[in-house]
Amino acid sequence: MADIALSPPLVTGYKNLTDVTEDVCRPMEQRPGAAWWAAFAVAFSMLLAGVVSVTYQIATGIGTWGLNTTVGWAFDITNFVFWIGIGHAGTLISAILFLFRQRWRTGVNRAAEAMTLFAVMCAGIFPVIHMGRPWFGYWIFPYPNFRGSLWINFRSPLAWDAFAISTYFIISATFWYVGLIPDLATVRDRAKPGLRKTLFSIFSLGWDGAYKTWNRYEMVYLLLAGLATPLVVSVHTIVSWDFATAVIPGWHATIFPPYFVAGAIFSGMAMVLTLMIIARKAMGLEAYVNQRHLDVMSKLIITTGSIVGLAYLTEFFIAQYGSNRYEQFVFLNRAAGPFAWAYWTMVSCNVLTPQLLWFRKIRHSWTAVFLITIFVNIGMWFERFVIIVTSLHRDYLPASWASYRPTSVEIATLIGSFGLFFTLFLVFCRVLPVIAMAEIKGVLKHGVHNREAH
Amino acid sequence: MPEKLWRSLDEWHTVSQPDEAEFHESPIGIGGGPDRRGFLKAAGFSFGAAMLAGCGRTVQKIVPNLVQPEGFTPGRPVYYASTCGACSAGCGTLVKVRDGRPIKLEGNPDHPVSHGGLCAVGQASILGLYDSLRVTQPAIGGKPAAWTQADALVAARLDEVRRGGGALRLLTPTVHSPSEAAWIRRFLEGFRNSRHVEYDALSASAILDAHQATHGARILPRYRFDKADVIVSIDADFLGSWISPVEFARGYAVSRDPGATRYAWHAQVEPRMSLSGTKADRRVIISPAETTPFVHALAEAVRTGGSNRPEIAELASHLRAARGRGLVVSGSQDLDTQVAVNRINETLGNYGATIETSRASRQRRGDDRALETLLEELNAGRVDMLIVAGANPVFDLPGGDAVSKARFLAVHAERLDETAAKAHVISAASHTLESWGDAEPVEGAASITQPCIRPLFQTRSWLETLAAWSGHAGPALDLLREHWRQSIFPKTKTDLAFDRFWEKALQDGFVEYEPPARAKSAAPQRETAPPQQSKPPEGFEVVLYAKAALLDGRHAYNPWLQEVPDPVTKIAWDNYASLAPAAASKLGVASGDVVRLECAGQTLELPAVVQPGQHESTVAVALGYGSRLSARFAKAGPEWIEGRPTLNEKGLVGANAAPLLALERGALRYSRAGASLARTGKRVDLACTQEHHTLTVPERLRPAAGGARPIVRETTLAASREARPKDAPVPELWPPDHPYPVHHWAMVVDLNACTGCTACIVACQVENNIPVVGKDEMRRKREMHWMRIDRYYSGEPDNPRVAHQPMFCQQCDHAPCETVCPVLATSHSDEGLNQQTYNRCVGTRYCANNCPYKVRRFNWFEYARDDRTANLVLNPDVTVRSRGTMEKCTFCVQRIQDAKIEAKRTGRPVRDGDVQTACQQTCPAKAIAFGDLNDSQSEVSRLMANVRRYRVLEEINVRPGVGYLKIVRPDSAAGGEKENG
Repeated sequence: MADIALSPPLVTGYKNLTDVTEDVCRPMEQRPGAAWWAAFAVAFSMLLAGVVSVTYQIATGIGTWGLNTTVGWAFDITNFVFWIGIGHAGTLISAILFLFRQRWRTGVNRAAEAMTLFAVMCAGIFPVIHMGRPWFGYWIFPYPNFRGSLWINFRSPLAWDAFAISTYFIISATFWYVGLIPDLATVRDRAKPGLRKTLFSIFSLGWDGAYKTWNRYEMVYLLLAGLATPLVVSVHTIVSWDFATAVIPGWHATIFPPYFVAGAIFSGMAMVLTLMIIARKAMGLEAYVNQRHLDVMSKLIITTGSIVGLAYLTEFFIAQYGSNRYEQFVFLNRAAGPFAWAYWTMVSCNVLTPQLLWFRKIRHSWTAVFLITIFVNIGMWFERFVIIVTSLHRDYLPASWASYRPTSVEIATLIGSFGLFFTLFLVFCRVLPVIAMAEIKGVLKHGVHNREAH
Repeated sequence: MPEKLWRSLDEWHTVSQPDEAEFHESPIGIGGGPDRRGFLKAAGFSFGAAMLAGCGRTVQKIVPNLVQPEGFTPGRPVYYASTCGACSAGCGTLVKVRDGRPIKLEGNPDHPVSHGGLCAVGQASILGLYDSLRVTQPAIGGKPAAWTQADALVAARLDEVRRGGGALRLLTPTVHSPSEAAWIRRFLEGFRNSRHVEYDALSASAILDAHQATHGARILPRYRFDKADVIVSIDADFLGSWISPVEFARGYAVSRDPGATRYAWHAQVEPRMSLSGTKADRRVIISPAETTPFVHALAEAVRTGGSNRPEIAELASHLRAARGRGLVVSGSQDLDTQVAVNRINETLGNYGATIETSRASRQRRGDDRALETLLEELNAGRVDMLIVAGANPVFDLPGGDAVSKARFLAVHAERLDETAAKAHVISAASHTLESWGDAEPVEGAASITQPCIRPLFQTRSWLETLAAWSGHAGPALDLLREHWRQSIFPKTKTDLAFDRFWEKALQDGFVEYEPPARAKSAAPQRETAPPQQSKPPEGFEVVLYAKAALLDGRHAYNPWLQEVPDPVTKIAWDNYASLAPAAASKLGVASGDVVRLECAGQTLELPAVVQPGQHESTVAVALGYGSRLSARFAKAGPEWIEGRPTLNEKGLVGANAAPLLALERGALRYSRAGASLARTGKRVDLACTQEHHTLTVPERLRPAAGGARPIVRETTLAASREARPKDAPVPELWPPDHPYPVHHWAMVVDLNACTGCTACIVACQVENNIPVVGKDEMRRKREMHWMRIDRYYSGEPDNPRVAHQPMFCQQCDHAPCETVCPVLATSHSDEGLNQQTYNRCVGTRYCANNCPYKVRRFNWFEYARDDRTANLVLNPDVTVRSRGTMEKCTFCVQRIQDAKIEAKRTGRPVRDGDVQTACQQTCPAKAIAFGDLNDSQSEVSRLMANVRRYRVLEEINVRPGVGYLKIVRPDSAAGGEKENG
C-alpha cells in the first residue's frame, strides 16, 4: 500500500461521506440548467438527423450511400468499428482494472461503463442498417426455424461478430447494473415518495446495506469482473477477424487482433477522458475526477497509442518483408495514394499527437489533454476508415479499382450516431449517479489532514 | 326521413331520442365551428378507404388454352431460325420463343455468314420488339389513323405523281433482301420519274465505286479474313463496326488461332484507337489527311519492294511475303484511296483468294453519289414524293433536313425518330421478329426472317407496305413465298419440291446456292492521280466513327446498348471528344472537361476523353448520339436525393455529330480538317466503368516486388506451340471437402481470340434479366452487368498495346465469398458452381468485399421494372432480383439445368456442348469454351491443358474455375514470356 501512500489522494478536497452523496446526487435531484438543455437540444437534433437519414436509406436502398461495386463497406463499418472501440474502455476500467486493484478507477468507472453501453448501442445499429435487407437482419442468429435445415454459416466472422457483440452488450449491461445497485439504493433512500422512489426501489432490488448483502454483492461483482475480462480482448479480436480472415491485401494480416484491441482501448480511454473532462466541470465533480485520473489515463493513452503506432510500422515492415506485390502496393497506396490525406490524418492524430503526453506539463493541463483526446478520437475514426476503404478501393485487379465519397445520407448517419450517444449520455447524467458513490466512499481518506495515512 | 327500427326498449330510447350533437343534419363546418366528431369520422372513413384500397389485389385471371397448340409445351422453349435485322450485316439467328414470346436471340451456328456469332447490337435488338414507345399504328399528319386511311392517302398521292409525271424517290438503307428489292422494282415500275436511293449512314460507298472503276462492277467484295495470313487494315474497324463485324471477327479468329498451322499478322493503320487497333500486332498512327499518301506509298512499296518509310516497308514486306494470302482493307471514303487499295490487292493476287468478287457482299450497297443528287433535288424542290423506309436521314446525314422539302413525305418507321416526326404519313413498321422477310447478305446465301410473335401493335412489315402501296396488298408470307418460288428456288437447283424446300429453308434459316456469274467486263483502266503533296491541315482533324454498340444511332432507343461500356474507353451513356494525351496536355484539358468543337460552321460541346494511341492532331467523336430516341431515358436509373439524371441539359444522351459529316465529291466523309477546340471551363462526370489504368500500378506507388501484375499474360507464337508442363500440385492444409462427383463445370477464355466487342455483356444481360441502372449509377461504379471486359494498356501511351480480359465470377473452388457470408446465401455446389441464393441474402456485401476479382453485383436500389411491355423480354428461367441482394454470374445455371433435364429425359449423359452459356453462344470469335472438367475429352478439359492456359490470381489459391489463354504477341515484339502485358 506504500504506493498509495506516496501517490496523491484519489479524492481531493477532503470530502467526507455525506459530501460524496450530496455531490453525486445533486445533478439528479435538481432541474437541469440551461447548459444541459442546450447540449441536449444539439444532441437530440443530431439524433433526429440520423433517424431521418436512416429511415430514408432503409426506404430507398443502400444506394443512397456512396458505396460501389468495389468499395462495399465504408462509413457503415468504419462507424461500427469506431463505436465498438469506444465501448472498450468501460470494461477495461471496470473489469481489468478492478481485478488489478487499480483503485483510481472508482472515479470514472460508472461513466465509462455507461459510455460503453451507449457506444455498443451505436455500434450495434450499423451492422443492421448496413444490410441490404435489414428487415431480415435476424437471420444471422442461429434460431430454430421452419426453413428446412437452414442454419447460419459458422465460418463467417460476421456471424461471430453477432455473438461477440451481443455477449459483450449483455455482460457490460449486467456488470453496470450490478455496480449500480448500492447507489440506486442510496438514491432511493433520499427520494421523496412518488414514482421516482418506486422506480429506484424496484431497481435497487431491496438493497438493505447489510453486511451479508455487501458480502454477496462484492462476490458477484468480482465474478462478473472475471467474466467480463476476456470480453475486453475477445470483442475487438473478433471484429478484427472480419478483416483478418479476408483475402484482401491490407486486411489479411495476423497482427490485427492485438492491434485492434490496443486501438480500441486507446480510443475508449480518449473518449472517457473527453466526456469526463466536460462532465466534471459541468457537474461540479472536480474533486472526484482529478489530476490523478488525468495523469494515469494520459499514461494509458500514450501506451496504447504507441502500441498502435508500432502496429502501423509493423504492417509496413511485413508488407515490405513479405514481398507480396499486392500487399506492398496497398500500403504504399495508403501512404501516397488518393486517400493519403486520411492516412496522414490518422498517423498524426494517433501516433504523433499523443507523444505530447510525455511532458508532465501537458499531461496535467486539462485543456491540453482534452484537445489531445479529441485528436485521438478523430484519428481512431480515420484508422478504421483507412483500413476499410484504402484496402478495398484498390485491390487485386486494377480494372476494378474505384474511389469512394460519402453521401449526405452517410454523413447524417454518422452525425446521428453521435447524437444517439450524447443524448443517451446526457440523459444518464440526469437520472443516474455518474460516479460510483459506494465505491468512491471506499477510497476516501477519512481525516487524512489530521492522521497519517495507513 | 325513414322510420327508425328498434329491437328492444333500450334501443327504442336511443333511437327515438336522437342526440342532436351526434346526428345533427346541418353540413359539417357550417356554423358552430369545426365538428371534431365529424372530422374524425371523415378522417376515419378516408383513412379506412385508403387502407382498403391499398389492401385490395387486382384480380388476374389465367385462362388455360382449351386446345393446346400442337408441338408446344408450356415452359419449354422453341427455337426458330431467322435473320437478325439490327443492321445490314444479315447474321443468322435462332430465336428462343418461350410460351409464345421471343425472349432471346442466339447466333445460328450453321449460318454461312455469321457462323453462330451475334454482336451486341443483335443481342440487344430483341428489346426493340417490346418497346412500348414504338410507333404503334399508322399516322397522318402526326395523328393516329387507320391503315385504310393511310393507304388511301398514299395511293391517292402516288396516283397524282404517276399521272402528273412527278418525281418519286424512295430512300432506304442498304436493301439486302431479295424480295424487298424485287418489290421495290415493281413498286417503282409505273412511274416515269422514279428512283430508289440506298444509302448507309456508315457508308462504304467508295469501295463500291472503286470496284466500279477497277473491276467494272459496283460491288462490295466479300472479305475473307479467315483466309488471310497478313491483314492490313487502313482505318477500317472490321472488328467493331465496319460492314459485318461478326463475320469478320469469326474469320479473324480463325486466322489467328495459335494452335493452327498458320497465324495471321495484323497491322492496323488508323488515327484513333479502334477495336481492331487494339488487336493489331503492329499499329501505325496516321491522321486522316495522311491516309491517301500512305496508301499510295504502300502501293508503291508493294510494287517495288522498298520504301523510305520504315513502317511502310514493314507492311509491304509482310504483304509481299504473303502473296495471295494477304488482305488490305480500307475504311476510307476517298475514291482514289480505295482504287489504290484495289491495286495493291490486285498486285498481290489477293482477289479470288482473300477477296471474293464472285460471291460479293450485299451488306453495304449505299450510293453516296445518288444520295448527293437526291439531296440536291430535294433542296431544289424537285421531289414530289419521297418515301423513306427504315432510315433516319434527318438525324444521320448532314443536311438531311432536306427531306422535309419533298412535297409529300411518307415514312415507314418503327419509332418516331427525327425523320418520322416530319412525315406526312407514317407507316408503322413491325419489328423483325414480327415480320416475314429475307436477306441475302452475301450473294448465294439467302436467309429467311420469320415472325416469332404476332405484331404487338398495329404495325406492318416493309414488304407488306410496299405491296399495299403497289396496289397488290397481301400477307407478307404469300409475297415472300412467291418470290422464293420464282427467283430463289430455281437457283438452288434442288431436287426437292418447293414445299419441302421451303420447309427446310425455314428450318435451317438459310439456303445456299451458286450465284449467277457476273458478266466479266474489262476493267476500265483508271489512272489514279498521283497524290498531291498537300500541306498538313491547320487545327484539328475531326474523325467521326461508330461505336460497336450504338453504330449510327438507329438503336439509340435501346438502353442495353446505351449502357454497355465502349470497349476501348469503357465509357457508357455518352459520346465525347477523344484526344491524344499530347493534344490534351497542349490544350490543358483532362478527361471530363467540356470542350467546344468548331468545324465547318458547326459547334458541338462535348466532354474530352484522353485516349492513348490516338493521332495528336485529331479529335474523334462517335456518331449515333444526341438522338431524339434517347430522350426517353429521362427517368432511367434510380431516383434519390443525390441521384443525377441520365440525360444532359439538352434532354438527350450525348450530342449528334452527324452535322460534322461531309457529303462531298460523291462520298460521305468521316473526317474533316480545320476543326478548332477550346476549353469551356465546364466539367462533367463521365460514366466510365474503368479508369485509365495500365496493368502496372501508378509509378510513384510502385512497390519493391514490382508494379506489374500477372493478370493479363502474354506469350509468343513459338512458346505457345510448346507442350504444357505438368502443373505442380499445390500443397494444401485445407482438406478437399468439395468433391465433384458428376460434373465440374469450368470455362476457358481465349484472350487472344477475344476482341473485346461486348457482345457477351449484352447477351448476358438479356439472358439473366440484368436491369438497366442509368448513367449516374454507371458513373458511381455500380453497373449491374454480370460480366465486364477489363481493358489494360501496356507500353508507351503514344501507341500502347491493349489487352481485353472478360471478367466475371470465376466460380472458385476455394471461394472467398462462400466462407464469409453469415447466412449461407452463397454456397458451393457439387458441380463446382458458387451458388447465390437470392432469397437468403441479407445484403452484407461481405462476399463482394472479399472477392479478389470484384465480380459480384449488389442491388443498390429496386431497379425500375415498371414498363410492362419491356418486361415481356424477361427470361422466365431466371429470378428477377430485388433490392438489397447480391448477384453475379451463375455460369448460366438455368442452361445447365435445362441440359441436364433434357439428358435425363432422353436417358443419356450430358454431352460436351450441350450446355452453352449465353456469353459463349454469342461470341463471334468463339473465345469462350464451357464444359465439364470431369469429362477428360471435353473441349474445356482440352483447353485447360493448353500451354497458354493460366488462371488469374492463381497465387492466392482461390482455385478459380475459369482458365484464360494467354495473348500471343509477335515473336519480335514480345521477346519471350511476359507476365505484365
